[in-house]
Amino acid sequence: MPARLITGASLDPKTLRRSVLQMAHQGQSVHVPCAFSLIEILSVLYSKFVRLNASDPKDPERDLMVLSKGHGVMAAYACFRELGLLEQKHLDRYFSDGSLLRGLAEADIPGLEVTAGSLGHGLPIATGMAFGLKRKKKPQRVYCVIGDGELNEGSMWEAIAFAGHTHLDNLTIIVDANGFQAMGKTESILNMEPMSDKFAAFGFNAAECDGHDVEALEKSILELQRETGKPQVLIARTIKGKGVSFMEGDNMWHYTRISEETMNRAMKELAD
Amino acid sequence: MRELLSELIAASAEASSDSIVLSGDHGYALFDAIRRRTPDQFVNVGVAEQGMVGLAAGLARVGFRPLVYGLAAFVPMRVLEQIKIDVCLSRLPVVFLGDGAGLVYSTLGASHQCAEDLACLRPLPHLQIFSPCDAEELRACYLEATTSSLPSYIRIGKSDRPVVNNDRLRSTRPHFVIRSERSENCLVAAGSMLAPCVSIAKALGIACLSVPKIKPLDADILQTLSPFRRAIVVEEHSRHGGLASAVLERTAEESAPSRIPLIRSVALEDRFSERCGSYQHALSEHKLDDSQLLARISTLIQTPYLQ
Repeated sequence: MPARLITGASLDPKTLRRSVLQMAHQGQSVHVPCAFSLIEILSVLYSKFVRLNASDPKDPERDLMVLSKGHGVMAAYACFRELGLLEQKHLDRYFSDGSLLRGLAEADIPGLEVTAGSLGHGLPIATGMAFGLKRKKKPQRVYCVIGDGELNEGSMWEAIAFAGHTHLDNLTIIVDANGFQAMGKTESILNMEPMSDKFAAFGFNAAECDGHDVEALEKSILELQRETGKPQVLIARTIKGKGVSFMEGDNMWHYTRISEETMNRAMKELAD
Repeated sequence: MRELLSELIAASAEASSDSIVLSGDHGYALFDAIRRRTPDQFVNVGVAEQGMVGLAAGLARVGFRPLVYGLAAFVPMRVLEQIKIDVCLSRLPVVFLGDGAGLVYSTLGASHQCAEDLACLRPLPHLQIFSPCDAEELRACYLEATTSSLPSYIRIGKSDRPVVNNDRLRSTRPHFVIRSERSENCLVAAGSMLAPCVSIAKALGIACLSVPKIKPLDADILQTLSPFRRAIVVEEHSRHGGLASAVLERTAEESAPSRIPLIRSVALEDRFSERCGSYQHALSEHKLDDSQLLARISTLIQTPYLQ
């Protein structure tokens, strides 16, 4: 079976958020809000753009999706479950002794292409993949989801400069611009704005959209990819903790584990 | 040695379109051959070493065999985390070439000198480490590194030292360059320290063992040294974590400790170079120039040993 969009999967944002919450509760994990901010981004990528092969996650013809902001990995696990890449039992055992799934992206998990828990690693690797695929004249695309806080890292700008210089139009970056990083607001810690202008200055085709509007995300990526000769970046404006009202925009939840009571309150909000 | 390195790199590129060389804007003349013969397979990524290692990992993931070149002060020193996470963790077949290791850049100061590359890299799982002393060892190391499925680091130090090996080597295993059946003493060296050790071994009538592959260290190295009373490890690297450390660590795993010779380390001092000057001057600050080296080894071979 060739690599193709995996259809029939329910990448409905509420389903994905419930999965994330259950994992976080089961594993007593932090990093829930930074997974919630990228739910729609991953939902759109995996349902509309990234061609995979569920029976062969390493299919050489697949598109490559690199989660550079590796701390949002629970959102990816939730997608992989729906796509048939991960069995539910792995999510159920999250963080238990000897379990498969770690709290940051690791390359040995089907669907995760690179290890990207340390920030500033995923995008340079994704750029190398795109450069290599282009040299081999392969039609696949490389997608890379980065964080706005991650743009503090110098290695990101080395890769951005290289991608622009070499006209990697098979590379599409999505910035999960949730406005926060570990210790507070990005604008007050190390302001990276205006991000679109910075990327454009490096030779990117840049656009912005509401990162929780699935139609806007799809339309923006399609439009960005229409122009050849340039790598693309979509600044997806998101809300950290999106989907659970009391987590939205409150950075404390970056570090807070999910109690039974929190779980029940949040699940009510995420009910269909 | 540099002419051969240039040729090996160019020949690899010609042999396979998957062979690709990345440089962080270094190595001007070294890459004349590849740039002339297969210019598309040489990529100057700019002065951007971290990004370069990430690019190499991405290229390896889509089927390329990247060779990443830099001064040892930058590759591996500056990009240690990238080597660990981007490459070693996934066992990608990337070859790192660290040039000018040791005190080669004696006139540029400590920023460009590198006494700690082996110590930093040896704990990284899956990484093979080579330290050739001359052209023939380089040929053997390069062949092994570029055909292995594992990542490798090739340490290139002072490369215009006298030739030690005149014949083709069939492997990168430790080999005696000076045999001395009667002597109780053996010098053990790698890279730039081989040539002076050969001269000293000849002068003093002692043996000299070359160890081109530092990791994994040859499983039989202690057995190879067992006929000797003393093994003096000489290296242009910090005494912390280099070849002497590797040999000594092996003694901790030895099941028959009675056969272990007395091991002594002659290495770079635990300090940065202080003054500007020639390569021999830089070595002299660390008591590793030719005359001090001879004097030190002459003294060490008198060291009492336990019966």
